[in-house]
Amino acid sequence: MPGLNTSLLTAVHALMAQQGAMDATTNNIANANTPGYSRQVPVFSEVPPTCQGSLIFGNGVALERFQSVRDELLDFRIQEETSQQGNADAQATATQQIQPLFTSTGQDIGSQMSAFFNSISKLSADPANMSLRTQMITAGQNLAQSFHTAVAQLSQIRQGLNGSVVQDVNNINQLAQQIASLNTQIVALQADGQDGGTIKDQQNELIQQLSQLTSVSVIQTQDGISLTTGNGTALVVGSSIFPLQTSIGSDGLQHVLAQGQDVTACLQVGSIGGALAVRDQVIPQILNQLDTLASGLTTAFNAAHQQGTDLSGNSGTDFFTPLNSIAGAAAQINVALTDPAAIAAGSDGSSGSNGNLAQLLAVQTTPLPSGQTPTDSYSNVVFQVGSIAAEAQSESDAAAVSLTQLTDQRSALSGVSINEESVNLIRYQQAFEAAARVITTIDQLNQVALNMGVTNGGY
Amino acid sequence: MRVNPNMVPDVLAAIARTQGAQSQALQEMSTGKRVNVPSDDPAAASALVQNHTRSDTVDQYTQNGNTILQMMQTADSALSSVVSEVSQAISLGVQGANGTLSDTDRQALAQQVAGTLSNVVSQANLSYAGIYVFAGTASTTVPFTASSLSPSGYQYNGNSNVNSVAIGDGFEISVNVPGDQLFQHPGADLLGSLQQLVTALQDGSTSAIGTATTQLRAALDYLSQQRVFYGNISAQINAQETFLQNETLNLKSQENSLVGVDLTTAATDFAQAQTASQATMAAAARVMQQTLLDYLR
Repeated sequence: MPGLNTSLLTAVHALMAQQGAMDATTNNIANANTPGYSRQVPVFSEVPPTCQGSLIFGNGVALERFQSVRDELLDFRIQEETSQQGNADAQATATQQIQPLFTSTGQDIGSQMSAFFNSISKLSADPANMSLRTQMITAGQNLAQSFHTAVAQLSQIRQGLNGSVVQDVNNINQLAQQIASLNTQIVALQADGQDGGTIKDQQNELIQQLSQLTSVSVIQTQDGISLTTGNGTALVVGSSIFPLQTSIGSDGLQHVLAQGQDVTACLQVGSIGGALAVRDQVIPQILNQLDTLASGLTTAFNAAHQQGTDLSGNSGTDFFTPLNSIAGAAAQINVALTDPAAIAAGSDGSSGSNGNLAQLLAVQTTPLPSGQTPTDSYSNVVFQVGSIAAEAQSESDAAAVSLTQLTDQRSALSGVSINEESVNLIRYQQAFEAAARVITTIDQLNQVALNMGVTNGGY
Repeated sequence: MRVNPNMVPDVLAAIARTQGAQSQALQEMSTGKRVNVPSDDPAAASALVQNHTRSDTVDQYTQNGNTILQMMQTADSALSSVVSEVSQAISLGVQGANGTLSDTDRQALAQQVAGTLSNVVSQANLSYAGIYVFAGTASTTVPFTASSLSPSGYQYNGNSNVNSVAIGDGFEISVNVPGDQLFQHPGADLLGSLQQLVTALQDGSTSAIGTATTQLRAALDYLSQQRVFYGNISAQINAQETFLQNETLNLKSQENSLVGVDLTTAATDFAQAQTASQATMAAAARVMQQTLLDYLR
């Protein structure tokens, strides 16, 4: 037979359990706006009953643990999508910086190229005019300058991305360090059969931040989670980390090393992947096209210029400084002529002849060795820059939408609802009050029992 | 199914979206352009490069036409005065061939014709903006200078070359007639004929005067034929100008359809974005205020 004391004990357990549940509720409410926090539910269980013959007596409730509500698969999808978004965002930001260089402003290569050929057309109506000749040289210099500006700004953007790679690597290492130290704590908790709980939340949040920088594979092990990155080299194993390193390669750019191995080419997602893609693919591709254009233009124009005769009847020389190679042509294109009289406008050696200007003008509409006319080449560059930027932007938008959906799903599962917690609070409060009432009642019963058979108050 | 209890990120995303749409519409309205950076429409931005290059070229064709036209008009009016002067000289020659005239009268006529000759030479040496119009392509050389070696008394220092200027794609027009062709053409040598007439008048031989006059008439006829060239070019340039104006208009309208914005559409877009933004914020304000706690007292 259970006695009053047993009941008292059951009631005290109930008080403790309800109080613990209220603690969980309080903690949930407190963390309603904490990023990455998963709501915790108290897990109650019946205390094993006592059997006495045919009677089975319940022994009340025990608060076993607090369980964080989360879906690991969803977390994994969020990490993946965060990596995608990090990549697209980095590319979108960088290409947004490139775009203005190729927007028709009057200072861009296309406008300057058009202005240069127009200065030749203008000269053809008055070929001996010195001021028109000077204008043509100035227009040529402006064209060269517009190439230089584009190259300089692209290089600047490239240097900026180079710096961001180093910064990203530092952030990755810092996050890896934090994740590794949380591993130790989680392992200790799990050894006690406890849920990793809020520490796990913190770790997940850190992994998500890490995913934004680069993609990591998460492997559950006995020592907590292991993280691998790039081509599969370990970043975090248990409580130890293998930090990424950067070193300047033979190309003058920062390379990322994992345990001494160059993994730059393997980093394709996350913001570091985005920065590397623009730095190592997009910008070199644009530079290469500008180089090809500048080199083709120089060669074709010089060849045409040499066919003519200048104001003094001498054969034409190089209008642009001849270039040694295609690589770097856009940075090196320059007008060689300084004397307006040396422009080889004529075809017959006389001062007023404009016979060669038609040949110079024809360069604008004749395909260069690349197979495209100068104008077509340039408009092609504009198209490519535009479509790369547009693609990065729309990928970023798409990733944002799908990330919002995933976060919604996670929030639906793990998010703290103030309404729900309020209801729970009332529930636990009522249960607590009831248990307290039980204790009062038992106390009264104990008084009654103690006073049994005693007259005059027992004294 | 549990519903996402935390609406704030969604609400913020929705507000950001509607504000993004608003700023896009605003930018389109304020710039009048649908394409402000290449990524707005890469194909249109690329076509715009071609469009701008083309309209620059067309503008330059028009400018070239105008420059040439002025030069043509100057040259033509010079030739026009040459024609009227030489016509007068011819009537003087006819007058001089009349046997009743005294030698003194013929000397006077000879002087007049000599005056005509020097006037014609000065017209032939016409310079427009520092350029000798009738020197072929040797436009910085004085075309006709006095020379005792030449029978006409003047030698041609220019050349027989012709400049061409493009005023359209593949539409190149010759912009000068070399001076030797106008004034010293073999068989129609204007300066030579004038000089001959002067000599004949001075000599007083009526038959020589007659021959010289006939030669002068032939030379004038030839000059008049050549003069038609300038008139033709002016007509061509004027016709081409109309064509170029049309092309400019076409290019403008092409540019507009490539990157321009339809103001009505942009204004409607803007109004819609504004409404959406207001609705989102109003809804968010209401929903976010309510919790169960409002009712638990």
